[in-house]
Amino acid sequence: MRVILEKGTIFYQGKFQQLGRLVLDHGKITEVTLASVKAKKPKVGGKEKGDSEKIVNCDGKYVMPGFVDAHTHITLEEEGIGWVDADLNEQFGLVTPQVRAFDALKMRDQALSDARSGGVTTMMVAPGSANPIGGQACIIKAHGQIAEEASIRESCGMKLAFGENPKRIYAEQKQFPSTRMGTAAVIREWLMKAQDYSKKKKSKDFKDRDIKLEALLPLLEGKIQARAHAHTADDIITAYRIAQEFNLDLVIDHCTEGHLIAKELGRWKAKAVVGPTFSCRVKPELRHRTFDTVRVLLDEGCMVAITTDHPVIPIEGLSLAAALCVRHGLEEERAIKAITEYPAAILGLDKRLGKIETGFDGDVVVWSGHPLDSRSKAESVFIDGARVL
Amino acid sequence: MSSILFDNVRVYLSGAFFPAQKVLIEKGKIAAVGSKVLKNVETVIDGQGKYLIPGLIDAHTHLGLTDHGYGPSGSDLTEWSEPITPHLRPLDGIKMRSDSLNDARRSGISVCMVSPGNANLIAGQCSILKTYGNSADVGLIVEQAGIKICLGEEPKHLLEGRKAFPTTRMGMAALLRETFMKAQDYHEVKQSKKGLRDRIIQMEALGPLLDGAVPLRAHAQRLEDIMAAIRLADEFKLKLVIEHGIEAHKVAGLLADKKIPVVLGPLLMAERSAETRDRIFECAVSLLDAGVEVALTCDYPGLPVETLRIAAAMAVQFGLDEKRALQCITETPAKILGIANRVGHIRKGYDADVGLFSGHPLDIRSKLEVLVIDGEIFKFN
Repeated sequence: MRVILEKGTIFYQGKFQQLGRLVLDHGKITEVTLASVKAKKPKVGGKEKGDSEKIVNCDGKYVMPGFVDAHTHITLEEEGIGWVDADLNEQFGLVTPQVRAFDALKMRDQALSDARSGGVTTMMVAPGSANPIGGQACIIKAHGQIAEEASIRESCGMKLAFGENPKRIYAEQKQFPSTRMGTAAVIREWLMKAQDYSKKKKSKDFKDRDIKLEALLPLLEGKIQARAHAHTADDIITAYRIAQEFNLDLVIDHCTEGHLIAKELGRWKAKAVVGPTFSCRVKPELRHRTFDTVRVLLDEGCMVAITTDHPVIPIEGLSLAAALCVRHGLEEERAIKAITEYPAAILGLDKRLGKIETGFDGDVVVWSGHPLDSRSKAESVFIDGARVL
Repeated sequence: MSSILFDNVRVYLSGAFFPAQKVLIEKGKIAAVGSKVLKNVETVIDGQGKYLIPGLIDAHTHLGLTDHGYGPSGSDLTEWSEPITPHLRPLDGIKMRSDSLNDARRSGISVCMVSPGNANLIAGQCSILKTYGNSADVGLIVEQAGIKICLGEEPKHLLEGRKAFPTTRMGMAALLRETFMKAQDYHEVKQSKKGLRDRIIQMEALGPLLDGAVPLRAHAQRLEDIMAAIRLADEFKLKLVIEHGIEAHKVAGLLADKKIPVVLGPLLMAERSAETRDRIFECAVSLLDAGVEVALTCDYPGLPVETLRIAAAMAVQFGLDEKRALQCITETPAKILGIANRVGHIRKGYDADVGLFSGHPLDIRSKLEVLVIDGEIFKFN
């Protein structure tokens, strides 16, 4: 099945341009031709016999890459169900690198159709922030009946949590840790154990696997990222300190006070997934939250993505969060990149997602109007070249 | 044990009823089937106008583990405090004189699989036995016939109360994975030259599962939990049977490709929980049409054991043919349990497990008049 989108405005090569035609074929983008370029004659025999073809006229509409949210908890707690489906946090586990968000995905969740209607096609899904080491995050697309169909990566990062959440959870249980020092010590202790385990494992007659330490090996080897939940400037710097010590590929999640240490983050070429800025300051570590953070960090040379942290704010709010950054001084092209190519780059998927480009995944959304205008509607959503809305 | 002859009876043979047949039972086995069996025996049962079918098989029950009406003293279904209990063996908890076994016989059930309850992550071992005998050993067919695990709502409910890891689907999957990983390492050391001296009973119990000698019997109702079981089985190369499988029809093709059978039910529930809300009675026919092996169960005490025939009749009501419906409570469960060479058919040399009904066995008005198990007669008049 080939889909051909014609005319309209396309976000292409970082700016809005006039579209000639865009072809989706076998799940991929196979052709992008701007209106200004003379249309080539269709290749003879380019179209296989029996291949059906669908032409969508996008005149007056906006053709966008599917949005990417690089930090959500989508489907871990299916909406409107309650405790039966509450699979967000192993709040008695303290150190749970062995748990995988992938094992708790529920593809029936209404939130996924909300994602599609918000033009969001790819999401990182992480365990919650109750534990200093919370578990493995995965990356999915917003379609499919079972997790395997949706999966891009079953394990892409290890969730670490700094600041208020872990110390509150374990202080309530009258357990270690109840301070930021304790949280950092727990993380450091287990990374240290994993380093030793990795050496021990090299011996021939090693037959005593430890599932937690096994799970930490890909992190130490740089195969998956450290995804550090950190709001305050000091927590961000603690995460950075630990990442340096153990040579981890670090992404700062939330990064609420990032603008207060923008110079440092810029120097470190930090990767930050900022948000949910569109929430209230419900705890002290959110007291400095502002829509300026994204712009300030981008100006300093950081790689920045905007997140909803769904279900903290609903996933359809991703483009609204980007629009609010524009209201606070961010140029609209960069705001769009912060929900498309930048999150794709942070997730290590910039060779296949986040842009409309030949060879990229066929994740394309047709909007009735400008995608950052909250009156606009996602009219058609294509994921892997198939229409899903 | 006397010889028995069912005379002039309509017999269910390889998928159809044949009238005016004789079935001879000797020494607990079926000795002859046909219209021309010539032998005089002391017990002749006239089958005029009646239906003889193989004894029914329920491949998923907790028969005998609960003794209703005796409160906690009669209940041996679930070990509440520990999530990982592969060392539990049903035979140590079955009470052969409980009403449930009597009810099973009155319903025409001659063979059952009994497993520990529905709440522990690894609940224990599964045993297959006949529904009669003074002790569970009398009719024991296979003692170690599988390892029962539970996924989804029910173990979550139990685990929630412990205030310990795990409490989520992520943690449940991880703890199962961890246990199987440990068991693999344990058995590798055990089989190595070095060997081991400190045996661990839980790890010992998991040996036959890892070897592929017995299947993983995974309690999984919802699609996500069914997929979690498939993922685990793939990862550790385990044989898998899906128990309950309320949403199994949603992945019927996948189950057929992977040759994973489903012990389906109970479907006939008044109150639906979050994970059974999508149940449909067409599930059996969808699975069978896709090529999945299906046995129907009433999951006693999930439903009264008498409802096994009703489950098959309801499957017919929702599109299944009578032949396959009867297979779902006779030969297919025998196949899934790995005992199809001795039960599930009325066939020479098979165990003498047969039920005589006053009318068609899927007509709920028909009454079970005689049940024979291993040649032992139970009359219900």
